[in-house]
Amino acid sequence: MRILESSVRNSRRGLRRATIASAGLAAAIAASGLTVAVTSATAFSATAPKARQARTIALNDTGRLHETGHHGFRLDEQGTATGTIKGSIYIHLNITSTNHVTAEVSIYPSNGSLTGQGSASYRSEGGQATFSGTLSISRGTGSYAGAHASALRFSGTIQRSNDATTVHVSGNLST
Amino acid sequence: MRRLATALTLAGALLWTSTALAEVEQASLHASFSPDRLGASTTIAFGFHLQTTAGLAPPPLQSVVLHMPAGLNYTLTTLGLSICQPAVLQARGPAGCPPNSRVGSGSAIVEVPFGTGSGHEIPEIQAVVGPSHDGNMVVLFYANGQTPVFAQLVFQGEVLPDSGLFGSQLATDVPLISSVPNGPDVSIVEVKSTIGPAGLTYYRHVHGRLAPFKPLGVGVPERCPKGGFPFTASFAFEDGSNASTSTTVPCPPPVHRARRG
Repeated sequence: MRILESSVRNSRRGLRRATIASAGLAAAIAASGLTVAVTSATAFSATAPKARQARTIALNDTGRLHETGHHGFRLDEQGTATGTIKGSIYIHLNITSTNHVTAEVSIYPSNGSLTGQGSASYRSEGGQATFSGTLSISRGTGSYAGAHASALRFSGTIQRSNDATTVHVSGNLST
Repeated sequence: MRRLATALTLAGALLWTSTALAEVEQASLHASFSPDRLGASTTIAFGFHLQTTAGLAPPPLQSVVLHMPAGLNYTLTTLGLSICQPAVLQARGPAGCPPNSRVGSGSAIVEVPFGTGSGHEIPEIQAVVGPSHDGNMVVLFYANGQTPVFAQLVFQGEVLPDSGLFGSQLATDVPLISSVPNGPDVSIVEVKSTIGPAGLTYYRHVHGRLAPFKPLGVGVPERCPKGGFPFTASFAFEDGSNASTSTTVPCPPPVHRARRG
């Protein structure tokens, strides 16, 4: 259901994005609320509305999540991301062995979405477990359509008493 | 004359072989889940018995590795919410450790070289979680020997990832235990222990007060492989010999899908 809603939302945002693009790149950046570093630019004018602006976003985000469910080796977490990209964040954490986790991370800012897969070493020490590894962004929608990144830094902590999780993601994201 | 020499050589070889075989260590292993339900938070009980083929006490044990089945679920366990420092455990015993560091208990039977041959029980073995090593969970075992060997021993097991049929292993180094100062080392004949919430009470702060609760154990795998859940233990002894043994925990009877907790 979330995917369907997201698709509808994103198609609407796609229309909005075209409008924004015609108003100029600076306005788009302002609307996205992001810190954006433009690394390369295609020709951009009102007569070429389909031209896409390649950009690199320096991500530095923190998510604070709580457990919403679990199944098998998987913890389902939901919370809020703050930092470069703000919005709802969902994580499926798979504790695949005593010292390794994989994760699927989805962030839903107001102007699109980002989805990625992470892999990290995992260690449990008393009441807290920590993980540290990398995250790849494989999919984006809305303002983040075509987003991709590899080897983003991906780390976090899990409070073992209640599975509340804090996650940090940083690195460069290309759109 | 030549035939006699050959016969003596053969007899000598047979004698040597039979002597060597008699010294081969034999091991047996027992393991169980309680409760034994697919997916359930469980207490793992395991025990091993060691002897030579002649039924004598084995050489002193140096290490034991317990291989545990793939699919054991560590995701939700709340065992070991606190850790106990080895120095504290050694100095003050389990009473000096936080209650939330306890993960199991058991007993052992040891044989001293000058003993009667019937073995002596170490009635108290406590397992607590220690500081992790290289990111791996560490279980500290505390053995409180009173007689004939008065010794309070701490030995360390490390939970490591495994492969194939096995998902994790508990690799434990066993210190040599002197029977008397400068005397021969004690043989470990039998160990029984649990890892899990059975018999444990943890505490947490609720509205400013400490409230007891039962921790969640490791989860029984959600699927049972054909033939049951495999456990294997391998042993290394002070004299360089080795032994290994396997067992399985039978698949639980099919019931409605169990929930954790």
